[in-house]
Amino acid sequence: MSDAFVSLSDLTLSYGQTVAVPDLDLDIAEGELIALLGPSGCGKTTTMRAIAGLLTPTSGKIVIDGRDVTRTPANQRGIGLVFQSYALFPHLSAFENVAFGLRLKKLPEREIRAKTEAGLDTVGLAGFEKRKPAELSGGQQQRLALARSLVMEPKVLLLDEPLSNLDARLRLEMRTELQRVQKDTGVTMVFVTHDQSEALALADRIVLMKDGRIEQLGTPDELYARPATVFAADFMGFENIFSVNGMELVSETGRLPLGFEADCPKIAWRPAGVTVGEGPHSGKVVASSFAGDHREYVLETPLGQIKADAPIEIAEVPAGAVVSFDLPQSTSRALAA
Amino acid sequence: MARTTNWVVLGLTLTFLIGPFIIIIFAGASAGESLAFPPAGLSLKWYAKVFTVESFRQSFMLSMFLAVFGTLAALLIGVPAAYALNRYKLPGDETIRTIVAAPIIVPGIIVGLALLRYLVVPLDFTVTMALFFAHTALVLPYAVRVVSSSLHNLRADMEEAAVLLGCSRLQAFTKVVLPNIRGGVLAAFILGFVTSFNQVPVSLFLSGPGVRTLPIDMLAYMEITYDPSVAALSALLAFMSLAIVFAAERLLGFSRYV
Amino acid sequence: MFLNNREGLALALPAAIFSLLLFLVPVAILLSEAFRSDTGWTLSGYTEFFSKPLNQVVFFRTLKLGVLVAGTAAVIGYAAAFCIVNLGPTARGRIFGLVVLPLMISPVARTYAWIVILGRTGIVNDTIVGLGLSDTPIRLLFTETAVFIGLLQLFLPLMIISLVSAMENIPRDVIPAARVLGANWIQVFIRVILPLTKEGLVIGGTLVFTGALTAYITPAILGGSKVLMLETLLYQRVNVSNDFVSASVIAMILIVMSFSANLLLKRIATARS
Repeated sequence: MSDAFVSLSDLTLSYGQTVAVPDLDLDIAEGELIALLGPSGCGKTTTMRAIAGLLTPTSGKIVIDGRDVTRTPANQRGIGLVFQSYALFPHLSAFENVAFGLRLKKLPEREIRAKTEAGLDTVGLAGFEKRKPAELSGGQQQRLALARSLVMEPKVLLLDEPLSNLDARLRLEMRTELQRVQKDTGVTMVFVTHDQSEALALADRIVLMKDGRIEQLGTPDELYARPATVFAADFMGFENIFSVNGMELVSETGRLPLGFEADCPKIAWRPAGVTVGEGPHSGKVVASSFAGDHREYVLETPLGQIKADAPIEIAEVPAGAVVSFDLPQSTSRALAA
Repeated sequence: MARTTNWVVLGLTLTFLIGPFIIIIFAGASAGESLAFPPAGLSLKWYAKVFTVESFRQSFMLSMFLAVFGTLAALLIGVPAAYALNRYKLPGDETIRTIVAAPIIVPGIIVGLALLRYLVVPLDFTVTMALFFAHTALVLPYAVRVVSSSLHNLRADMEEAAVLLGCSRLQAFTKVVLPNIRGGVLAAFILGFVTSFNQVPVSLFLSGPGVRTLPIDMLAYMEITYDPSVAALSALLAFMSLAIVFAAERLLGFSRYV
Repeated sequence: MFLNNREGLALALPAAIFSLLLFLVPVAILLSEAFRSDTGWTLSGYTEFFSKPLNQVVFFRTLKLGVLVAGTAAVIGYAAAFCIVNLGPTARGRIFGLVVLPLMISPVARTYAWIVILGRTGIVNDTIVGLGLSDTPIRLLFTETAVFIGLLQLFLPLMIISLVSAMENIPRDVIPAARVLGANWIQVFIRVILPLTKEGLVIGGTLVFTGALTAYITPAILGGSKVLMLETLLYQRVNVSNDFVSASVIAMILIVMSFSANLLLKRIATARS
């Protein structure tokens, strides 16, 4: 892609002798909100640190806004990073934290004041100028860290697990905040997360990573509906995954006839994609729990345990009872190995 | 255990630990000619006399010089070392740690003798220089340890944040790290100062004509005369140390670092 | 960013080189001196040193005083530390401060006080003569007892500090729980407090024992030439008779003793659990 704003090509990243990311290619468009998603150790944080310049690549190239920055030191890249721990300067007031980078640019005092106040205002921290970081709540600290990066007008804003240290309510608030900031400033944003619901809710595109490689790349819709691999499917909530052998489903414990033809090595269903109460198969209810708008069942079947979500309208089947179920073609997802 | 027993035990222990120091204060305030407690009448003449003894003045200046500049030198090489040992994964960092901490383990008298024999005599170092090196080496482990513990509490990503905001590595250190470990550095200085100033065994062999640290000079003075001036001087020095420590405690909660 | 080892070494090496060249190397040469002779390597320095009765007396006296001081400090230390930990937070801070305070005072000053107390016309002798227990003052200075008392006063704070911080880490309800289960105070101490504070005891014990071995001022002032310890003997050997071989032997003994004390205490502590 020639219109890529951030372009990583053949990027290899390693710590000493250990290669964390081998040979990565990734293009990010200007103004895009990208999520690097994956379990810990998948290389997402390493990739982010390399974009920031905190880690020098073993080989490969990083181009940002048409400029090769592979060897550019971190302090000259013009990239913002909001740390997971926020990394606020404890000895400086909120105002001075935000003004820190502007002062290094040696801007005139009046401009520093104006930009800093505007920055604090953007994140809703006007009036907190004199507070030290320790005197702010967790959510306020994060917004301060965000303002500190934003006033530098970075080409790319990186966020490391931006929602992980917040409680559920603040998490929702911050999610909206980040989307608003991105819309207002148009800044290209890359955030790292291990939580697929965060990635699905926030990102324009998701980069799902595994063992330092891109497992799948796509919009939230694509990833959610059409995971391509077992790993991606598992990550996206397809909890029932089986091997296919001709017209049969196969697991370690047994086999079950498949009602349709499938030309793929693996196939998967979400719990919600399993029909409960009718169908050709039967299983024993091992556990059942109420979850508001649906009921979650665990069924003992020849394939082992299957998780199934039934609409609340269907009468509860008690544990120990046998119930019929179906694994329909319409809700199945064919997977590569 | 009953509260009274508690306080009796503590009272006895503290009397044993602090009582002698109080006796010294009064013994130095004697109006008589010889060292005694209770003193033969009270006067401040011995406290006054301390300031007129030429050798005390000289050795006080030397001890001050060693304590201040020896500690500063130790911090000058100790702070970077503490920083490196905390922030880098160095090959052989355990060896470096051991080497830097070694002066705490080796008895001071041996250090003094070794420096006299192998630095001063063959290499023509002056005694003052050898004293300076010895005191620096002696304070170094404290400097590294105290500064290390305050660096340990400072997250490394703060420096990365500073760099991403435009700092050079050096600026990140001076603008972000240093302001946040200031308390630890000051605590290390005070601990080093007190340790160095009160140090005897290291300086035992390292003395020459006109070059003697104050504690050594006091020992020498005691061998000649038993008048109360050494008691007075001891009390004065103790007050000086305590004043410094109390000021430090007030300013920055010194005891957190020790 | 922090993996640039050359940069890290550049920061760490000045301190390491300083310590190595101006400290460890001279000490190592001094230690090797007793092993060198005109003809090659030898142990004669050691055999000669230990063949002299005076040296034997001084060696065992130093060992004995070190053990006695450390042991007594442990007994008083446990009692004092237990009392300190039982105090409310404010009182605890103040009393702890008073325990630490003597460490900031010059050992010369702290030892000198004992001359006033134990001297021929000191308080103790005045009391003894005043009460008619003895017609003439008793010699208290320049005895092992005087050195023992001086050393104990000098190093007791180190033991108390170590034990207090160890005891602060004992979970709060453990001792009441042991009492409720029927343990008497001696059993509580042996079965609960001691095992839970043994690390503090090892640290405190090493500090006090090593401190007592390597103290110079106290034996010099309170023992004089009558009650020599290894440090004062070393000083005398060098200053009076220029005997560097003996000095080297004593230096080695002091270092070996300090190290083995630490190892031994650690071994005992781990063997118990």
